[in-house]
Amino acid sequence: MDYLDFIDAVQSLADGVLFGTTYALLGIGFTLIFGVMHKINLSYAAASIGAAYASLLVLAVMKAPPALVFLVAAAAGGVIGGVVYLIGFRFIPLANPLATLMSTVGLLLLIDEIIVHTTQGVPLNYPALFSDVIIRAGPFTLRGDLMFVFLIGCTCMAVLLTLLYRTRLGIATRAVSQQPTAAQLCGISVDNVNVLTFVITGVVGGIAGAMIGAAIGMLSPLLSLPLTVKGLVVTVIGGLGSIPGAIIAGLLVGGLENVFQFFRGVSERDLYIMLLLFVFLVFRPGGIFAAAPGRD
Amino acid sequence: MLKRIAVLAALGTVALAFSTPVSAQERTVKITGFGAKSGVVRIFGVNSEAALKAAAEVINSSGGVTLGDGSKAKFAIEFLDDRCNAEEGISVARRIASTDAFVAVGPTCSNVAESLFGVLQKKAGDASDTGLQFPIIADVAAKGGLAKISEWAFRNVPSEFDMYKSLFAWLKTQHPDLKTIYGGVEKDFAHSNATFGVMKAQAEANGLQVLGQGEWLLADTTFSTQVREMRRANADIVAISAHPFTTCGVLKEMERQGVRPKLLIGLTSSSSIETMQGCAKQAEGIIIPTSFAPVTPEATKAAENVAKHGGSADLHSAAAYEIMFILKDVIEKQKIMAKPDTVAADRVKMREGLAALKETMGLLGKVGRADREAIKPFLYVHAKGGSWVVLHKPAS
Amino acid sequence: MDFYLGLVQIIGVHTLLGLSAYCVLLTGQVSLAQAGFFAIGAYVAGMLTVLAGWPIVPALLVAAIVAGAMACAVGFPALRVKGLMLVVATVAFGEAVRLFFFNFNYQLERGGFHLGPHGGEGFRQIRYFPEHGWSTLEVMLFIWLVVVLVMAALWWMDHSRAGATFRAVGEDELAAQSSGINITAVKVSAMTIGGVIAGVGGGLFAHYTTHIEHVQFGVVLATFAVAYPILGGLSNVFGTLIAVIFIQGFLIEGLRFMGDWRNLLFGGLIVLAMNVRPRGLIDAGTVAAIRRFVLRCLGKGKERAGA
Repeated sequence: MDYLDFIDAVQSLADGVLFGTTYALLGIGFTLIFGVMHKINLSYAAASIGAAYASLLVLAVMKAPPALVFLVAAAAGGVIGGVVYLIGFRFIPLANPLATLMSTVGLLLLIDEIIVHTTQGVPLNYPALFSDVIIRAGPFTLRGDLMFVFLIGCTCMAVLLTLLYRTRLGIATRAVSQQPTAAQLCGISVDNVNVLTFVITGVVGGIAGAMIGAAIGMLSPLLSLPLTVKGLVVTVIGGLGSIPGAIIAGLLVGGLENVFQFFRGVSERDLYIMLLLFVFLVFRPGGIFAAAPGRD
Repeated sequence: MLKRIAVLAALGTVALAFSTPVSAQERTVKITGFGAKSGVVRIFGVNSEAALKAAAEVINSSGGVTLGDGSKAKFAIEFLDDRCNAEEGISVARRIASTDAFVAVGPTCSNVAESLFGVLQKKAGDASDTGLQFPIIADVAAKGGLAKISEWAFRNVPSEFDMYKSLFAWLKTQHPDLKTIYGGVEKDFAHSNATFGVMKAQAEANGLQVLGQGEWLLADTTFSTQVREMRRANADIVAISAHPFTTCGVLKEMERQGVRPKLLIGLTSSSSIETMQGCAKQAEGIIIPTSFAPVTPEATKAAENVAKHGGSADLHSAAAYEIMFILKDVIEKQKIMAKPDTVAADRVKMREGLAALKETMGLLGKVGRADREAIKPFLYVHAKGGSWVVLHKPAS
Repeated sequence: MDFYLGLVQIIGVHTLLGLSAYCVLLTGQVSLAQAGFFAIGAYVAGMLTVLAGWPIVPALLVAAIVAGAMACAVGFPALRVKGLMLVVATVAFGEAVRLFFFNFNYQLERGGFHLGPHGGEGFRQIRYFPEHGWSTLEVMLFIWLVVVLVMAALWWMDHSRAGATFRAVGEDELAAQSSGINITAVKVSAMTIGGVIAGVGGGLFAHYTTHIEHVQFGVVLATFAVAYPILGGLSNVFGTLIAVIFIQGFLIEGLRFMGDWRNLLFGGLIVLAMNVRPRGLIDAGTVAAIRRFVLRCLGKGKERAGA
């Protein structure tokens, strides 16, 4: 491997890690919901893309700066999150994890179809900030818009972590995730905490969707299924219920994806990601940061 | 009291008089199209449906179609969604075949066509083959060689082999100084993958040196690795065989990395509004061969009509539009009766009629027919200022 | 008539797909790998009838065995994890199988044509049924013969000790293990049986669609596979059948008259069904109610005859 190849490999890794922030955000959403409700929300990635699409409605009404569009995406994500909780989780008894799995599958299909029906399945342009900024560091180039996505992603994670570990809501959320009955006895409304968790993860998802749109420059309904699979892979590699794990895993998967592609081409790339997952499951089933064992 | 009854009776008679159809000979022939109206390919189904309806309206307004017994009938169009799913496509075709229909138009997706044509009787009249005996004419499914699968399968799609052969030969005459080419291909979609093989072969046949190819998948979102290699190769021409989503993704990445080839060539399916909506600026100048552009009066009128019915005319929906006229032609030539008791005979007549066609009238000129496939006239368009403009019309 | 026969064929094959996931679900595991075993069955059966000229029944048997063997091999590492991690592990395996067939090229010359799996382009001309003069009715009966055999086998197993063991592991692993049940053996056997059923289903699928390609065997098909038993209820095999009829018959074909709204209703009705009947369309309560109803009818009949 000569010098040029080495530069290319590192560049691929760097690009992948920056894009991996979006995977990290999705992984956080999946893992938070799993941590609090011990259920999986398969419609999360589709809802995030849906929130990004919803934010495009703002552009249909007026000429808005990209920052506003991103904020609308976050807000839309929160609303969609709340709705998903209401029709997918609220009325299904806790003892039926399979039922919620199926209801989230139904929601995934529903959100996808709504997107396809309103846009005819055609890819739409998505605004991006700093898309024409290229930072050059020696032989390497870093995309300005990807750096912005990375920054926003990191800020989002920092805010979320602050929320979880330094606020009362955060304490309540963690209490419900560890011991729902005891939390209820302490006067914490499990229902309210659940709704808020969904809304917050919805906001995170909305930001993730907006960042994905900004990084690619376009939105397409093609995105929801692959992102769901990648989000799940990231969640498992990071450890279920662990937010720092989801972050590291997201960056890892993003970077390795590009590296595998660089060395082995695009047909085998996903195969290696799956193998990586298998390796983790066999040797470290708890993930990178296994969540602190609960009562089980 | 009596007066009231009289008034009511009078009104009733008048209503009855108006409700009796003026022409008791008014008949309808229902033509069912089917294709993808779900998922990312929904736009194809929407456009095909609009094109079928638009063409039917034109035919109906000029008198309709003459059936075998001399009566005139109007076309009615129905369109069924197969969700680009092979099982559902077969089910839809069987559903249509269980009605009085004697032909169906579709499908959109090549994978559905593969399965569906495989279910049809391979050789017409082969008693040992229990395949379905129902003629199907495809408007969009463009993967090479599909009509070969069955003698009941017909297509009105352009031949990508001919189009790219002609394009590369013409480019050689226009730009003899360009020597190298770099390719890009969407590997997991049969259509783009197969067409890339054609592009590569034709490029080499015209003396261009293929420096390499970038590969990606249908739903990929980052192309930095592929475009970086493209930049290193620094070829004169870049040919991209991919659909609008990834084509735009690659073009945007090329803009970011400063890759500016002297010529850009694209996939036929990407000569649509999707590409213009996604990346008009980056796609500026890309050359794509197509079998439809509003350059003739018929084509312009067709485009207007299809737009009126809620779709847009491109090379795929134009094929559906033309098919309605082909069907009218065959119905009249073969004297199809379109009665419930002549269904089996009508289907055989339709098949023989379609097989016997040597040429049909297309929107851009005469369309030849051979081996149940269409030999369509084509031209080259390029993206200029956010829309597709004709670059060159090769002499056929 | 052909249309209804074709629809019944589809319901039959999808029931096999659903039953393969049902088997694994009995032991409490959600496996999204059934589409992968389905694919293996499809390609193996197709290659045997097209390239090796085998008749259909031996081809299906071999396809089932190969898929079952694959399931057994995958089961051991995959079943070390539980819950969501197993879901993701099985998704990963299913995707790995699909990607394998995406890259798989094995063509032989047969009668002037190149036949066989051709990577991304798929495997065409699997025309055993039409070439050997099978009518739609005969294909349908053949498919349903297999379905009835599989359902009968599963029903019998369910009412035997093996079934009780499976369900015990499914309900509470710790208690089952404490009772001396070898959990790994149970889970791997369930996975293997599921793999065998999926292999047969896949073989039939290849022959009635005549063309298979990697795209068909993705996450969506895997999700449908688990959707059928979950929607139908895990108390008995008929739940899966009812769910397949509901989805394929009612939602996909029956709602066709709604045009574009059909697809929106698809997801919506699944959400509604899960909210209204979380244990499935036919759950233990429904079975008990049906049993009571039947007994009451029989009892009334006896009364009338007796009195």
